[in-house]
Amino acid sequence: MTVGDPLAGRLIFVVGKGGVGRTTVAIATALLAARRGRQVLAVETEGAGALGTGLAALRSLHHPPDGIERVRHLVIEGQAALEEYLGLIIPIRRVLRTVFESGVYQAFVTAAPGLRELMTVGKIWYEASGREGEPGAPDVVVVDAPATGHGLQLLRMPQSAAEAFGVGLVRREALRIVGLLRDPLRTAILAVTTPEEMPVSETIEMLDTVERLHLPAPTVVVNQVHRAPCSEAEGALVERAAGVAGVGPLVTTVARLARNEARWAEAGARQICRLEQRAGRALVRLPYLFSEEFGPPEELRLTDALGSALAERARALREAG
Amino acid sequence: MKHGRSAGPSRSRDSRPPDRGGGGAGLAALLEHHRVVVCVGSGGVGKTTVAASLALAAACIGRRTIVLTIDPARRLADSLGVGPIGNTPRPVPLDGLAARPGGSLDAMMLDQKGSWDELVERHAPSPQVAARIRENPFYQQLSESFAGSQEYMAVEQLDSLVASGRWDLVVVDTPPTQHAIDFLEAPQRLLRFLDRGVVRWFVSPSGGIGWSALQVMNRTTGFLLRQLESATGLKTLGQVSNFFNEMSGLFDGFEERFQRVMGLLSDARTAFVLIASPDEQVLGQVDFLIGRMNALDMPLKGVVMNRIHDGVLGPEIEAAGDEALRAGLEAALAPLVPGSDDLVRRLLENLRAHQARARGDALRIESFRDDLGAAVPLVEVPELDGDVHDLHGLAGLRGYLLATTPPSP
Repeated sequence: MTVGDPLAGRLIFVVGKGGVGRTTVAIATALLAARRGRQVLAVETEGAGALGTGLAALRSLHHPPDGIERVRHLVIEGQAALEEYLGLIIPIRRVLRTVFESGVYQAFVTAAPGLRELMTVGKIWYEASGREGEPGAPDVVVVDAPATGHGLQLLRMPQSAAEAFGVGLVRREALRIVGLLRDPLRTAILAVTTPEEMPVSETIEMLDTVERLHLPAPTVVVNQVHRAPCSEAEGALVERAAGVAGVGPLVTTVARLARNEARWAEAGARQICRLEQRAGRALVRLPYLFSEEFGPPEELRLTDALGSALAERARALREAG
Repeated sequence: MKHGRSAGPSRSRDSRPPDRGGGGAGLAALLEHHRVVVCVGSGGVGKTTVAASLALAAACIGRRTIVLTIDPARRLADSLGVGPIGNTPRPVPLDGLAARPGGSLDAMMLDQKGSWDELVERHAPSPQVAARIRENPFYQQLSESFAGSQEYMAVEQLDSLVASGRWDLVVVDTPPTQHAIDFLEAPQRLLRFLDRGVVRWFVSPSGGIGWSALQVMNRTTGFLLRQLESATGLKTLGQVSNFFNEMSGLFDGFEERFQRVMGLLSDARTAFVLIASPDEQVLGQVDFLIGRMNALDMPLKGVVMNRIHDGVLGPEIEAAGDEALRAGLEAALAPLVPGSDDLVRRLLENLRAHQARARGDALRIESFRDDLGAAVPLVEVPELDGDVHDLHGLAGLRGYLLATTPPSP
């Protein structure tokens, strides 16, 4: 894939803390990849949740959006993935059942540090890379990463495992997964944040961690960016109009809401500035959507916004050489 | 949760701050009569800030209060005077905040890793054992990143703060989680893990032999272990086994303290306050949370609906159509701005945008309130300009929480 085009990889991790719109961006990403004619597998890892619900809502629209027919949804859970994996290495069913029912197995699964995360990411690897060429295999896997631990636990685990497990199959598997995750031609990370202090601080920390792990540099997506409705000079005029004696509630309300939005835009710009100092200027910005509720129409508006923002970013990166 | 459109915002609302939710008095009484206030809620709703502001409010009505914060933004941590290391309560000066005599505020930030180390230090049979535990890679993983570890330590710290008797009220912020329920369940998961089956398997009766003894224990176990080992490699499980061997003496204490804290949490003088925002995703989880809390005998005693968007227009504007609004605005702006068409269009767009968002908020809050019932006080807090990050900001927020007029800065 060309650098600067995260949609062209085989594996796209969407990370970000709770409440920043990570799942929304994951759905938009899946749709955009599908609109390029690719078969997409959208994965979530903490049980069936918002990703599945969001995709189902789009599917059940009277006019389902372009691309949705090429997006499949899958929930990957660590323990189930482990059992599937053990089924491959212990092919005798009776023995396998004994294993699963034994106390030592339960204890083992609970205690072995990170094993479940490793199995989750192993299964993701299998979907993204291990089935290449098989009929029905996806062209790209989009992962809505869990919100805890900055969603990096999954990305970190194969490396920890390769170090912790001295010998054996897990180490070999882990090393293969590390190979995929570190390859910028195959793996892309989308780091979603809002332009607020805490999410931005965490995103900056996350960028440092990603670098330490030698993972591909994330594309930072700043979601919910406010835009001032008028210039500073215009704002001053509106304030003057609102200050005229006897002016009705309309003008004062309009002035208040304009001031409000301008302040949000300004506070956001300061946070975006912090991000740019760390991540460079090639951020992707998505607008704050004012709406009564966030449903399929809003999801589709955001998908279009993400599509054009990514295209613009790619152009900017090309021009910068 | 249902968000019926038919419920429309019939009552007119204005932007007068105090007690928009009608629960301010209830929240004030709650701070006065409880020993522990636990702030629960999913991430990104301003939980840490609200917890700090509630603590400040309690201190100002004369209670000796401490707030245990988990992960405050840097500027808030700075203004509370707390740092990430050490688990040390720091006094917060209340000068100029009209505090009643007798009240005081301390703040403390949870140091997760430090808490684990303290625990090991306190309960290990010898300094050598403590050092071995601290160096064990599995212990390091457990104390830093094991799911539930932070929640468990928050519960441990709560126990020792209450037991110290130094404070009338302990306000606890809870770790940022995807689901608000995690705070209640994660410590139990960790305890289950540290407690029964796992430990039995990894701690050998003969003490020091550990993992290798387990492998030859019997044929079935031996076989299973060989299968699992060949899949994973031995190194890690050896560490786990050593860890449990070293720690085995400590677990009785865990269980006992944990039971004590669970008792404390369901005590009549403990209140759970839910911090939420009027977003679909947040409110969608709340029904489940409230159900679980009731089942655990930890009933919800207050709700802070935080970060409500401003879009209150007043009846006059609500009733007017686009044309009337445009004409009105043009008339006001024309003398000042030549050719104001485009500006008027943008201003009205902004007005309608805020109106739509605020209407959605109002519908969701109304529906939530119906489900919540009248017995639980609910206060509404608007989305405040910028982040609240200093004591004056917290004091201003207090005005909304307790339905009093915010003090002028």
